Amino acid sequence: MLEMAPAAAGPTRRGFLITATSAGFSMAFVLAEPVLAAGSSQAADAAAPFEPTIWYDMDHDGVVTVNIIRAEMGQHVGTALARIVAEELEVDWASVRLRYVDTDPKWGTMVTGGSWSVWQSFAYLSQAGAAGRIALIEEGAKLLHVGIAGCAARNGAVSSGDKSIRYGEIVRRGQLARSYSADALKAMPIKAADDRRVIGMPVLAVDIPGKTTGAARYGLDAQVPGMAYARPKLPPTRNGCKVTAVDDSAALGIPGYLKSLVLDDPSGTVPGWVVVCADSFVAASRAADLVKVTWSSGPAAMVSEADIQAQGLKLITAVAGGSMVVDDAGVDAAFSAAKSTLERDYTTATVLHFQLEPLNALALQKDGRWEIHTGNQWQSLILPTLAKALGVTEAQVVMRTYLIGGGFGRRLNGDYAVPAALAAKALGRPVKLVWTRADDARFDSPRSPSVQRLRMAFGDGGQVTGMQHHASAGWPTQVMVPAFMPKGKNGEPYDPFAISGADHWYTVGAQRVRAVSNSLANSTFRPGWLRSVGPGWTNWALESFMDEAARAAGVDPLAFRLRLLGGNGKNGVEGAVRQAQVLQRAADKAGWGSTMPADTGLGLATTFGQERDMPTWCACVARVHVNRSSGVIKLEKLTVVVDAGTIVHPDGALAQVEGASLWGVSMALHEGTEFVNGQVRYTNLNTYTPLRMRDVPSLDIEFIASTLPPTGLGEPATTVVGPAIGNAIFAAVGARLRHLPMRPADVLAALKKA
Amino acid sequence: MSGTLLKRLSFAVVLLLLAGCVGLGWRSAVAPIDPPVAGSFAPPMVALGAQLAAAGNCAGCHTTAGAPAWGGGLGLETGFGLVYSTNISPDPETGIGNWSEAAFARAMHEGVARDGSHLLPAFPYTHFTKLTDQDVEALYAFLMSRPAVSAPEHKNTIRFPFNVRALQAGWKLLYFDGGVYQPVAAKGEQWNRGAYLAEGLTHCAACHTPRNRFGAEEKNAAYAGAPFEGWSAPPLNGTNPAPMPWTQKDTFDYLRNGQSESHGAAAGPMALVVHSGLAMLPDADVQALAVYFADTNASAARAPAAAAALLVANSRRLVDAGRETEPGANLYLSACASCHYSPAATPSSVQGGLALSTSITSDDPGNFIQTVMQGVGGAGLPGPYMPGFAAALTDRDIVLLASYLRSTRSDQPPWANLPAAIAARRPPTTPAP
Amino acid sequence: MTTPITTIFQLNGQTLKLTASPDTPLLWAIRDVAKLTGTKFGCGIGLCGACTVHLGRRAVRSCITPLSAVAGAQVTTIEGLSVNGQHPLQKAWVQTQAPQCGYCQSGQIMQAAALIRRFPNPTDDDIDSVMNGNLCRCMAYVRIRQAIKIAAAEVQGVASHA
Repeated sequence: MLEMAPAAAGPTRRGFLITATSAGFSMAFVLAEPVLAAGSSQAADAAAPFEPTIWYDMDHDGVVTVNIIRAEMGQHVGTALARIVAEELEVDWASVRLRYVDTDPKWGTMVTGGSWSVWQSFAYLSQAGAAGRIALIEEGAKLLHVGIAGCAARNGAVSSGDKSIRYGEIVRRGQLARSYSADALKAMPIKAADDRRVIGMPVLAVDIPGKTTGAARYGLDAQVPGMAYARPKLPPTRNGCKVTAVDDSAALGIPGYLKSLVLDDPSGTVPGWVVVCADSFVAASRAADLVKVTWSSGPAAMVSEADIQAQGLKLITAVAGGSMVVDDAGVDAAFSAAKSTLERDYTTATVLHFQLEPLNALALQKDGRWEIHTGNQWQSLILPTLAKALGVTEAQVVMRTYLIGGGFGRRLNGDYAVPAALAAKALGRPVKLVWTRADDARFDSPRSPSVQRLRMAFGDGGQVTGMQHHASAGWPTQVMVPAFMPKGKNGEPYDPFAISGADHWYTVGAQRVRAVSNSLANSTFRPGWLRSVGPGWTNWALESFMDEAARAAGVDPLAFRLRLLGGNGKNGVEGAVRQAQVLQRAADKAGWGSTMPADTGLGLATTFGQERDMPTWCACVARVHVNRSSGVIKLEKLTVVVDAGTIVHPDGALAQVEGASLWGVSMALHEGTEFVNGQVRYTNLNTYTPLRMRDVPSLDIEFIASTLPPTGLGEPATTVVGPAIGNAIFAAVGARLRHLPMRPADVLAALKKA
Repeated sequence: MSGTLLKRLSFAVVLLLLAGCVGLGWRSAVAPIDPPVAGSFAPPMVALGAQLAAAGNCAGCHTTAGAPAWGGGLGLETGFGLVYSTNISPDPETGIGNWSEAAFARAMHEGVARDGSHLLPAFPYTHFTKLTDQDVEALYAFLMSRPAVSAPEHKNTIRFPFNVRALQAGWKLLYFDGGVYQPVAAKGEQWNRGAYLAEGLTHCAACHTPRNRFGAEEKNAAYAGAPFEGWSAPPLNGTNPAPMPWTQKDTFDYLRNGQSESHGAAAGPMALVVHSGLAMLPDADVQALAVYFADTNASAARAPAAAAALLVANSRRLVDAGRETEPGANLYLSACASCHYSPAATPSSVQGGLALSTSITSDDPGNFIQTVMQGVGGAGLPGPYMPGFAAALTDRDIVLLASYLRSTRSDQPPWANLPAAIAARRPPTTPAP
Repeated sequence: MTTPITTIFQLNGQTLKLTASPDTPLLWAIRDVAKLTGTKFGCGIGLCGACTVHLGRRAVRSCITPLSAVAGAQVTTIEGLSVNGQHPLQKAWVQTQAPQCGYCQSGQIMQAAALIRRFPNPTDDDIDSVMNGNLCRCMAYVRIRQAIKIAAAEVQGVASHA
């Protein structure tokens, strides 16, 4: 078990724990001391709000403001988390407000990703809500001069018989002095699922109205008087570049141009960057085009996508190297003794985040601290880097929180805050640094291209006796947070976000999963975590391969999978049963086995979502028609079934699965670029083409009703769509595609081979 | 001596001989006058002159943007070198302040300056010769009552031997058919009014008729279309390639309002002609022009096929379905379709229906390229607005877009040499942020 | 960039007079000079629609519309679409809970307003073509389509009772 010990304990410490289990990895956030004692200060000042925990406060009108530490980026997380509090607190929803907090050590780790937010927060927010309710009942009973036993809290009031008192009045008149230890909070009784009145009920997301009127403010909208605007002048490659000359003579004619700054970066985040400053963004942008910078660059400037993929292939073909994430005994024996084996390679191309709000950050100094105004998904990761870059302590840096115009994992890597801070420091005034779209694409942290090899061993009677999955790609976690990497069975670290998904729930005899870091990818660009991360591409290989294995075995792809989801041995029964359930349900809904029109086929795929320790069971059936002469793939329908346990915000969950499914389509059929001379080739919408309105298929989405603990929903549906489409294409016209994205030319080539 | 130069010299000799024979190499000067006093012209004449000057688009050549009106100085690339328009404000030193009405009328009717030198046919006197004396008088009244502008003449850079003014006499012998417009009895009053305006004042043929290698309009190819400043002035005769005929109504709509539902919007140079020029003519005159051109392009004969053409265009409305992954289709669907998608019942070209677009069916891709790059309208001009995409799209993007629309919206063969045609028209701008 | 000139136009009914290079994109005048940040920057080349405003009654991409094009014209942004956020489209957007991250939605709503003006009873084909230029990276297209139809029906209902 790998554990990070908490530093010196204090009243507001947070710590986190990383555990590597035998077959996977998990992250859990443990609260060391989650409460501020609501002590004497409460009694002394009657106007002070009631703050039983740091997660919310209640004023003397009974208005509850819930503190949201997660980034609001389309998943309506604030609403969902506030619902969890409201459920236990028994507050009237109309009196709930959200506060998206700025960084402060008291919040502990601030990160929004992995589809973790609800899953991580559910317990402690429920406990926090319950704690407040109990305190209010106790004090309310006193004020009503009744015994606690007969009191109940409901809709923002405590009542007993025909007497009642509203929360606001209790806060105003009462002496709420209850404090809770960590243990007490953990032991807080939480409602049974049957008693829930809020969770699972329809609600309008709090962040939505502002998004229909232009009132919602994103990082790009942040401004302060007197700020300079700036645009980065990017070096040829992320790594290995140094500025050797700057000539801004051509920019001097741009009205408003100020100067070009060669950044000196102690943190090493932005080597070779120049920032062009002006008093308007248009001037900065145009000046940046005219400023001539000469760089010396390293070997990355000569690397192509083919080089990266060739390196990946070489790495997985080699017997040695890499981390054994799963390595059952007897794998090699199973393969030597096999009656037949199947081996297939799968690849995916570089894809971009292309979040619609381009990267931006406003940096300024105020009251002795550095303020960074931007949307961000992992403040805790970038704060130390910012401090190092600025040569100050972390306490002297605060990140002000904004709505995010698209995260998808790009804003987990807060590197964009660093050049803004350095420019502001060099210029001596606030700097608003804005990337153009092409800048953003060029220095995205793209999802690395990948190469995967899968092998299956069959024994007597077509029984699956062994399986291997070897995967190589750039590793974002290795490049950006190496301490997060757990160790595999052979003691080698691995990036869980570059292999998860391969550690599936199928019973396949002796299993090996090997993850190999593509060092050429890591040195050429900064690989990133992109919505659905590893499972977004490991499942492309896995679920395509399961189909190919089924067909090689002469078995229906659905039956083949169900047979292997018996939950034997290490693959827990509960997990396999839940996966089999969604798979069967999706197949039934989609009419699996019915006759299709010519050149039309159904394909299916199933995954456990993001991580074994937080499985969200997904299954998808895709219906596709293929035009044999043009190769055009028409995706007609997706049937998606999801088991995510308790659904806190049903409509929000549906919206996430709609969006995640369409992301899966986009990654499968519409998006892909390549590295050329160390640079991303497609940098704007004329050439990089995410899915649009008219590409949307018919969608049929269903959630399995459940009261089990909630698991993540922002990403999992992305993982099942690509392979379902690939399998449907094969069913339609017998063409097997093994590369993402799938294009008409690929269909035609595969048809020729078939 | 190069072949071309030899040819030029031979021709020049011919012209010189002709000119010498007729003794027309140089004409006599008309005596200078003092500039007329302000207010010496009757207001109705000045008003009529203003209207005629607008319709004749005099300012299009004789006013340079940013400089005082009528001061000239606009360089025109003629194929023989640069010709700079003259100052026609009533400035005695640098303008026409010393010109009597007779001198002015001779310039308009015969292409001869006050001092007797021949004017270059870049000044379309071959058309203005047709103007009535009264209209010439009105134009004189208007111009001579403008503020005088001191703007010295720019030197032309016409290549030898075409810079020899005397040779113009020979050119006139060959190519100039002088005289006021004579009505054609068989045609009606409206047609004749339209013909008078078109041939005399608005000089449409100056752009819309191809010229021979000596810069004269090809009499046998009247209104057959010609290139102009990177655009192409389409044919106004029966060879017009638009899918729909230019009926009188369509032509009136276009010339009056800058747009025709079944053809498109006036763009580029034509936008100024319509909105700054013809805008000052009364409806009756614009209607007359419409009658004239509806006849010139034989629209009546094409009328029976119009309904069929509309059906074909309508059938192309959803032609993009299934082609979304093609780069050209993607560009159209992402950048253009939001405006250009046309409704089922009435494919409209103005804000849609590229299947009816003349620029897409033309042999020359120039108008399509220019429209994509520069857009249409804006800046207070009435009619539709389309942004220019020069800074937004690369040359390659425009090649893909042009090829895609040509193949899906027309039955014409693919355009050849698109990359060169686009590169030649690309303005020097910095990319948009 | 060229010599700055003074351009005067109406922005949400207010007169805006600004001196800038005439080729300055309208988008940045709206965001940085008029401080109306509801109109967004997404691609800068007119292909994502996040910058959509109304010029007169037409939807245009303000990132490629130069200031010179709007001299004397009426420009409306999302902030000016309705007084209190109660335009039928805005209500329908809330009813269907269409926005996710919301960054594209100002542009979506402005384009949809032009759509239902031109196509009071929009079909799926109409929506496919007229809205396709508006990229939603969160891919909330299903609900955008629903909301358009709901709003169009409301506008029709009001119109037929007027």
